[in-house]
Amino acid sequence: MSTEPALMSLVAVANAIAEKKLSSHEVTRSCLHRIAQWQPRLNAFMAIESEQALAAADAADAALAKGNKLGVLHGVPLAHKDMYYEAGKVVTCGSLIRRDFVPKTTSTALQRLKDAGTIRLGSLQMVEFAYGPTGHNVHYGAVHNPWHVDHITGGSSSGSGSAVAARLTFAALGSDTGGSIRMPAHFCGVTGLKTTVGRISRAGAMPLSQSLDTVGPLAQTAEDCALLLGLMAGADPEDPTASTLSVPDYVAATKGSIKGLKIGVPTAFYVDDLDPEVARILDETIAALKAEGAEIVQVELPDQRQLTAACQLVLATEAAAFHKRWMIERPQDYGAQVLMRLQNGLAIPGVSYLEAMRWRGPALAAYLAAVTGTDAVLAPVGPVPAPTIAESDVGNGPDAEAVIQRLTRFTRPVNYLGLPSLAVPAGFTSSGLPVGMQLIGRSFDEAMLLRIGAAFQRATDFHAQVPKLA
Amino acid sequence: MTRPSPKEVKAMTDVAGVPADTEIATRIANSIGPAFDGFAPVAGTLPFDLEPASFLVVQAAKVSK
Repeated sequence: MSTEPALMSLVAVANAIAEKKLSSHEVTRSCLHRIAQWQPRLNAFMAIESEQALAAADAADAALAKGNKLGVLHGVPLAHKDMYYEAGKVVTCGSLIRRDFVPKTTSTALQRLKDAGTIRLGSLQMVEFAYGPTGHNVHYGAVHNPWHVDHITGGSSSGSGSAVAARLTFAALGSDTGGSIRMPAHFCGVTGLKTTVGRISRAGAMPLSQSLDTVGPLAQTAEDCALLLGLMAGADPEDPTASTLSVPDYVAATKGSIKGLKIGVPTAFYVDDLDPEVARILDETIAALKAEGAEIVQVELPDQRQLTAACQLVLATEAAAFHKRWMIERPQDYGAQVLMRLQNGLAIPGVSYLEAMRWRGPALAAYLAAVTGTDAVLAPVGPVPAPTIAESDVGNGPDAEAVIQRLTRFTRPVNYLGLPSLAVPAGFTSSGLPVGMQLIGRSFDEAMLLRIGAAFQRATDFHAQVPKLA
Repeated sequence: MTRPSPKEVKAMTDVAGVPADTEIATRIANSIGPAFDGFAPVAGTLPFDLEPASFLVVQAAKVSK
């Protein structure tokens, strides 16, 4: 066991607390110690609640001593993206507009984790209203990448990626509407699961696009993500769009071999115009999966550019509709880039939006037909490693939308199709920046992705690397 | 489907109740234009009786490997 509890995986630390090898107090203090060291460099936390966290840890230890274990995450301290409502707590959504917003209810995803015994370390930074892939936030400052603090974390779950990578929290909720879990996972070197639309209830999660929004975890390992998904997934009377499909044993799925599985690699789009180091790491990932017994096959996918365009039409329209009242009443309280992108949605005719929505079914059917015979598709999360904060700080300038579209080129088609995708750390560039690969699965088949991801992580150690304080 | 011109964007934002001046309308047209271009091969080609809910039907269908 590591001498520093905060460095353990979620599964390992939960077991250690349950077996009384570590107390929740020791674990929480270890996290708070690292937060104190790293927060001035990273700006990953929106709020740090040290005293409350230690009090909750002491209460968890006392309960466990009496034999009262709440659940599998009893006494495990976590922090989440600051868009999950928790009754009585300020939830800023990374914005000025909601700087003082205190919800009366708790989000279903968060409540299910609390019911499993987690305690709260604070809340994590994010892009304003989750509308941006870089990690910039004009109101609360950019979040920094722990591997290179002058590089971006990716967004919009910027604090989640940064804090998990630096081992300030064992896991964190993010949200993925256009790539907002997978981009930070890719840039920060952590594992991130974008779930199937409807797999986890969105009740009490700040909305951005009702058709595309998904809730999911970022953590050290695929096994950690499996544990969290199993706790959060399932029907919810508070969210009629949440699926009523049964919830498999995702942790059990991570134990399986991938021998004989077929993994598709696209012949185009996801392999075009890659940074040479991303291309190298894609090749190395393919080799590692082959070595574990998977069969790699080429797949010819339908035109993914059309999916990206359709995604943009849906996302921009729905985001503008959610924000219209504040765009009229409080335009000055938005950051320039977020306001610019919200304004884009005003210029999309209703017929165009509905055409993009009507095409979703046939587009998904065409994709599934193209990947028949495979268990998952492997692709880079992004074409480049994390850019610097300076070079990606494009505000609402003329190149802003082009920069955003380039970063999210490989994530948006998956959002449009509502598919699950697991981003796993797959290597490092020569300058020490992490690079992630995504495994794209069929609707509601997260178990397959977690199985492949876990097998890849048993064969590699990229997920176990920890950034050092400079 | 063609991308909207700045003049058309200005009209749409006026109708939406969130007016944009000429500079912002031009910026919006340039930002959103590529999405219209990218979707153009699909726009206007969809069958009459295709509903958005068809997505849920495909999503829920058991798909064999």
